[in-house]
Amino acid sequence: MILVAILAVPVLAAVTAFTARRRAAMEVINLIAAVATLVLGVMLAGQVLQWGTISTWDDLLYADALSALVMLLIGFVYVTCAIYAIGYFRDDEKNHVFEESEPGSVALTKLRKYYTLTPLFVFSMALVVLSNNLGIMWVALEGTTLATIFLVTFYGRTTSLEAAWKYAMIGGVGLSMALFGTILTYYSAHQILETETLAGLNWSVLVTRAAQFDKTTMRLAFILVLLGYGTKAGLAPMHTWKPDVYSEAPVPVAAMLAAALLNCALYGLVRFFILASRCLGPEFASQLMIIFGLLSMGIAVPFILAQRSFRRILAYSSIDHGGIMVLGLGFGGPLGALGMLLHMTFHSITKPLLFFCAGNVQQHLKTDQFSRTGGGLIHSMPVTGTVFMIAMLAVTGSPPFSMFQSEFTILRAAFDGRHVAAAILFVLFLVAIFSGFLVHIARMVLGPDPGYERGDLCPFKKYTLVGLSAVVVALGFWIPSPLFALVQKAAGLIGEVR
Amino acid sequence: MNPLVDPQLGERVINLMAAMVLVLQIGMVTQRWLMANVRIFAAQSFLLAAIAATIAYFNNAPHIYVAAALTLVLKGIVLPVLLTRLVAKVGIRQEIEPLVNVPVSILISAGLTLLGYLVAESFYHPAGLGIASTLGHNTLAVAISLFLIGFFMMMNRRKAITQVLALLSLENGLFLAAIALTYGMPLVVELGVFFDLLVGTMALGILVYRIRETFDSMDVSKLRKLRG
Repeated sequence: MILVAILAVPVLAAVTAFTARRRAAMEVINLIAAVATLVLGVMLAGQVLQWGTISTWDDLLYADALSALVMLLIGFVYVTCAIYAIGYFRDDEKNHVFEESEPGSVALTKLRKYYTLTPLFVFSMALVVLSNNLGIMWVALEGTTLATIFLVTFYGRTTSLEAAWKYAMIGGVGLSMALFGTILTYYSAHQILETETLAGLNWSVLVTRAAQFDKTTMRLAFILVLLGYGTKAGLAPMHTWKPDVYSEAPVPVAAMLAAALLNCALYGLVRFFILASRCLGPEFASQLMIIFGLLSMGIAVPFILAQRSFRRILAYSSIDHGGIMVLGLGFGGPLGALGMLLHMTFHSITKPLLFFCAGNVQQHLKTDQFSRTGGGLIHSMPVTGTVFMIAMLAVTGSPPFSMFQSEFTILRAAFDGRHVAAAILFVLFLVAIFSGFLVHIARMVLGPDPGYERGDLCPFKKYTLVGLSAVVVALGFWIPSPLFALVQKAAGLIGEVR
Repeated sequence: MNPLVDPQLGERVINLMAAMVLVLQIGMVTQRWLMANVRIFAAQSFLLAAIAATIAYFNNAPHIYVAAALTLVLKGIVLPVLLTRLVAKVGIRQEIEPLVNVPVSILISAGLTLLGYLVAESFYHPAGLGIASTLGHNTLAVAISLFLIGFFMMMNRRKAITQVLALLSLENGLFLAAIALTYGMPLVVELGVFFDLLVGTMALGILVYRIRETFDSMDVSKLRKLRG
């Protein structure tokens, strides 16, 4: 029942927001839907911890610890973005941003678009993690692209059209490869299961029989799925849409893409990773993961070091973190999967903060270029400046913040698995990215006062920043034991392979 | 024996139609008129629907009829109509300007077809493991070729709307692969894929229209502002 409820909430929110007549009504609907999604996500996590797996509707919907974890993170990111979005779009309206890009456009129409498409986006993501059927999971992932195309073009600038076009085309080609991989998986299962019903693509069925699948087919299927869902997750070299989309989309949308959709794409990849590992033995899939992980981190390095825009640098950070998670998966062992899922959790909680800070600065100074900010932001925007520094340190994995722990876990997994060369590269890339971020953000935030007018944050933005950074700091010292139990249980699902 | 239930006949008919689908795909590569491309796509979809229906008939698999009917209505009629309207709306009927010229494109397509056959070969189990050994061999090769040529067309074309067409023909290849390998995906999944295809094409259509309005061109190589 709870699975149906999770899917129903965002759909209801989208319908009511579409018919709402006032801005305040849309904001309240979105906020209620977000809180409800998070609460249901927590309940789901609790049930999964208690019973292991849940399924309804003839096994059409299914949740284990891995789905529950990703669902919980979707709910969390949705809530933070829902609160921040209220302040963000009110400021946009105050600054007349909507009229600027498209003369004569009415703010309410724009906002209706945001408040209708965002719940649909959340619905698609929830369907990705809650559907038992790998085919339906594909349909839902494609659905996330469809729901977000017009959120990327939200501002109607020529550059946002360009970003949306790249997003749709690269995403479309990528997902068609993933569909081919799904078809091939169905085919290799088809010969064993001899069924033409939906069950032939059901995860709960496939995972028990994966060892018997045809090896040639499964190998090709996994490569196609890796390329496909890797495109959706933005792994290098299929990452090129990411900087454009993350910098052109409105900040709350970009934050959800980076902190929630990334997990969903990786979730799809992990499901196939488990199938491939059971069918072909762990080496094949793990090696591919290590290659793509290192490539993603490595490509992010020069672009972060030489970056000129504080919106685009966040996208390269997201490519880097996608690479780190995939590396954790590739290193394997009991620690690899744990490190990956811990990193996923910490990343989802920390990343929105960085986006919100960048959004505040962009709204205040009307630019996204480091060079135009002139430094000394801490004087004109004390709250944003401070939080920006905290978030930057947290996201680059410096101690005592939580991402240091997950990155350290992944590093230990690398040495346990005797991937010494990969481990050395991993550390080098981490250090380079840390120094790049430190130089860029510190130069922007610290320094003498250039004399901008003081930017008073609207309360919604301020509370999100302060509240979320409190969570981020607290998480560095203490992780709630049920959350850790859930992560461990989910890692166990991946680790069972060996 | 009644020829109408002879599976050998069914296989031959399917092979013939699959070959025609491939010919149409290469035709699309060579064809320089936008409207002709839309019509070729429609014809290809009709053939796919016919292949699906033939498989359904000879293998007594009624659920494939639904997929065949959906293909006929959606890809054979609805999408071509939408695309025709889009072409009329953005008001361009001029030629497609491919990056690689036509003779070279044909050579590349031939090479990709060869590659398709090589890949399909690896699925061929002489022991008769499942369907691919009997029915799928040729059809699967055509499907993979369709997929690869679709890829090539996407890279080879600069106009936004022709890239949409290439993406759709690439998807046709996937449909054929699913039909050839497993008699199609489970129906619910198939419905979902069709839904995504319809919504996706409409969304891309709107994007194409807005790109045309904003840039006064559909040449996606002009979308070059975002870098680094």
